[in-house]
Amino acid sequence: VSSIAADLRALLSASRVLDAPAELRTYAYDASFLTQLAPNPPDAVVIAASTEDVAAVMRYANQHRVPVIPRGAASGQAAGAVALGGGIVLALNAMNRILEIDLANMQVFCEPGVVHAQLNSALAPHGLLFPPDPGSSRMATVGGMASTNAHGMRAVKYGPTSAWVLGLQVVMADGEVIETGSVGSRAKQSSAGLELTKLIVGAEGTLGVVTRLRLKLMAIPPSRAIVLGLFDALEDAGQAVQAVFGAGVSPSAIEILDERCIQAINLYRPAMALEPVEALILFEVDGNPPGARWDAERVTEVITPFARRSEWSDEPGRINALWEARSLVGAAVGMLRPGSNRAYCGEDICVPVARIPETLRAIQDISARHRIPIATYGHIGGGGLHPGHLIDGRDPDEIRRVLLVADEVHQLALRMGGTTTGEHGVGAGCGPYMAQEHRPALEVMRRLKRALDPHGIMNPGVIFDALPLPFELPLSGPVGEPAEATIDPG
Amino acid sequence: MHETEGPRGRVGMARALAEGHLEVTPSLVDHELNCLVCDACSAVCPAGVHMDPLQVGLRAALEPSLRRSVFERLLRALVFGWLFMDMAHFRLLARCLWLYQRLGVRWLARRLGILKLLRLESAERLLPDLPSALLVPRGESYESTQPTSEPAAFFAGCVMSTALADVDRATIRVLQRAGCRVGNPAAQGCCGALHAHSGDLPRMLRLAQANIEAFEGSDGPIVVNSAGCGAMLKDYGHHFRHDSAWAERARAFSARVRDLSEVLAGRPLKVDHALAQKVVYQDACHLIHAQRVSRQPRDLLRRIPGLVLAEIEEAGLCCGSAGVYNVTNPVQSKQLQQRKLDHALRVDPAVIVTANPGCLLQLQSGLAERDSRVAVKHLAEILDEASSAPSSADAPSAKTTEGFLRTSRAESQGEA
Repeated sequence: VSSIAADLRALLSASRVLDAPAELRTYAYDASFLTQLAPNPPDAVVIAASTEDVAAVMRYANQHRVPVIPRGAASGQAAGAVALGGGIVLALNAMNRILEIDLANMQVFCEPGVVHAQLNSALAPHGLLFPPDPGSSRMATVGGMASTNAHGMRAVKYGPTSAWVLGLQVVMADGEVIETGSVGSRAKQSSAGLELTKLIVGAEGTLGVVTRLRLKLMAIPPSRAIVLGLFDALEDAGQAVQAVFGAGVSPSAIEILDERCIQAINLYRPAMALEPVEALILFEVDGNPPGARWDAERVTEVITPFARRSEWSDEPGRINALWEARSLVGAAVGMLRPGSNRAYCGEDICVPVARIPETLRAIQDISARHRIPIATYGHIGGGGLHPGHLIDGRDPDEIRRVLLVADEVHQLALRMGGTTTGEHGVGAGCGPYMAQEHRPALEVMRRLKRALDPHGIMNPGVIFDALPLPFELPLSGPVGEPAEATIDPG
Repeated sequence: MHETEGPRGRVGMARALAEGHLEVTPSLVDHELNCLVCDACSAVCPAGVHMDPLQVGLRAALEPSLRRSVFERLLRALVFGWLFMDMAHFRLLARCLWLYQRLGVRWLARRLGILKLLRLESAERLLPDLPSALLVPRGESYESTQPTSEPAAFFAGCVMSTALADVDRATIRVLQRAGCRVGNPAAQGCCGALHAHSGDLPRMLRLAQANIEAFEGSDGPIVVNSAGCGAMLKDYGHHFRHDSAWAERARAFSARVRDLSEVLAGRPLKVDHALAQKVVYQDACHLIHAQRVSRQPRDLLRRIPGLVLAEIEEAGLCCGSAGVYNVTNPVQSKQLQQRKLDHALRVDPAVIVTANPGCLLQLQSGLAERDSRVAVKHLAEILDEASSAPSSADAPSAKTTEGFLRTSRAESQGEA
């Protein structure tokens, strides 16, 4: 096994290949609960510096039938960037150069390891923005965002990452380097042939390795405003959101926090003193200053009949204070149960907007039945929900129960007419549900996969075919005690 | 950028070590000890993980299995076991170094290349010119110079009260002018941060107990002017949480700890001496990340008439000092130092202000190497310059400071 590292050292600069046990261990997981339970150290890690490095690795791997797992920041929560069955982890986060900002054509050329927040910091002085905005903006790479088709809060208005990728440089499974979206093109639209860009975006590294991106940009909206609504009942919140869409307003974000999230924020920041209601919704509108103000007033007017209280503001100070409630929630939910950890599994469903209240009630029911506290927040405008399960990671029975919870949440999403992953990607975590979700379409996906990666070396175990895990996922029964019972919250 | 050099990787290695999946290998030790413990990761952690106590625990656990040379072990015993454990020892060393700097020995040592031979060259360069009088906490109190008077207890620090005693005195003066009656509890000592970050947890706990006891008779906030010490003191509660005899006392102590800028932020300190200078504020990691204090020092600087505060790129990046990191990891430390200085000098400041002795000395030594005229000052010094003229009674003086030959200057003048 160690010969993989030796072989790679002969191909690449030796310092770019890691194989010390301690080093491999650090690439054994992403942010998912699954990899906390069962870390998967690879056989070797390559810190790629260039497209040539990537192509060399792919040629080697294809010839020797070694799995290759492309990896950015591994901020993913779906176990999509770990060597589930061994192989080479191809770390792309050192390829982090912004190659060119084309101001006239409003696009940027960059490498996959550029961190999302850093990209937008570099664009801001030019008044430009790459709008998809994952919660992990300060960690996630644009390569990872493209590979998982990440969405974020503002996808409700600006769409997912796929809407902003114009072209890609991709290293295929056999090491061939291609450019999607027409070679050398700077056009913003095209009808030339199959959209390979869209095929690679969201493929989670199962079809090829993204080594360069051409991204579409927009001007930073000059103004924004925010509307806060507090609702006594979840159903009122759901109706308010539908009323807003019906009123012809297109908010740039609509975020919901459930009762437990509100409780958590009050514990974390008592000064916020939020009323204990069933749902809190933040609507953000943006555009030109009078337009944003008009939108905010209109949203307030429309939701008032449903809300216990509502307010709007276009003052930056107030906007930030209100957004803080939303941004704090990830860290704050831990306060609900001191000593507990978030278990990132069943954490990213998406259901039809109209069925959100029903879904949230069902999640509360699952929480009660399995005695696992769940605080749910999400992008209600698009139907995305993030249930945050709080468990004592040292308790094997709680681990068993939270895996059951995750399964029931996934099944619930499908029953509601939704999907098991709204924006995080399939990885190994949602893999078992793909057959149920796609039925014959999954077989078509598999055919595509086989055509592009005949030896199945590209990120195996993700999306198409689940690899056996070191323990059985409790889809309907108890599991044996997992290899590792404690979780670190990092 | 490498997972091995990131917080999650380090936590992962520590966990695998604790659970028996990894052994202590040179590679693991290297990656763990490359950590600056700057807490920049804690400040942005979405899960709220606090790195500092994890690293302290890990380093203490690693220490017994590390193979250190006889020289290294001797040095550690001398520094951690003898020097920092008793302020009398620390002051003795300070006096010796003062003599070394004054009697031409330094000149000779540098000329003869002895420092190079002992591989002490870069460490020696970090040594500031020592002041002629130390600050020795004797339980004395400095009255407020304002009509109002609220109690505050001053944490004098080891390096601060010796090598940077002038900064300590400036701190006390500024606090007095801000309406504080400043106590300087006797029997206080080193905070233990260097021990903690070097894997010597038992000695850190002993130092902590001594400090907790020393401050129990005092009132008001415990005011610290060293970011590194402040972060350590605020963590005492955490480190004693499982010790039934000390948990409550440590928690109460930590709850009182405030950085100087936190205390001054809420007080009416008159800063009416104009200082028409462009100033860069250098965020100490243990202030901005570990204590989340970055606004208050800037607000205080902006109060000074004429002063122009310039922001720099990567303001939250470590300067490479990081406790003893500049001695243990000189290569990485140097890279960080140069990066920080490049950013700072690009805005062409007259003064770089910071609030931590490590940063102060690190930046000073880097600027000296560049023959730069840019001054490095502690926040307390610049506030001292800018605040109202002191009345004759306010300066900590004769009875409270101690000259190098064990007689304070004022006393010897009196005798003459």
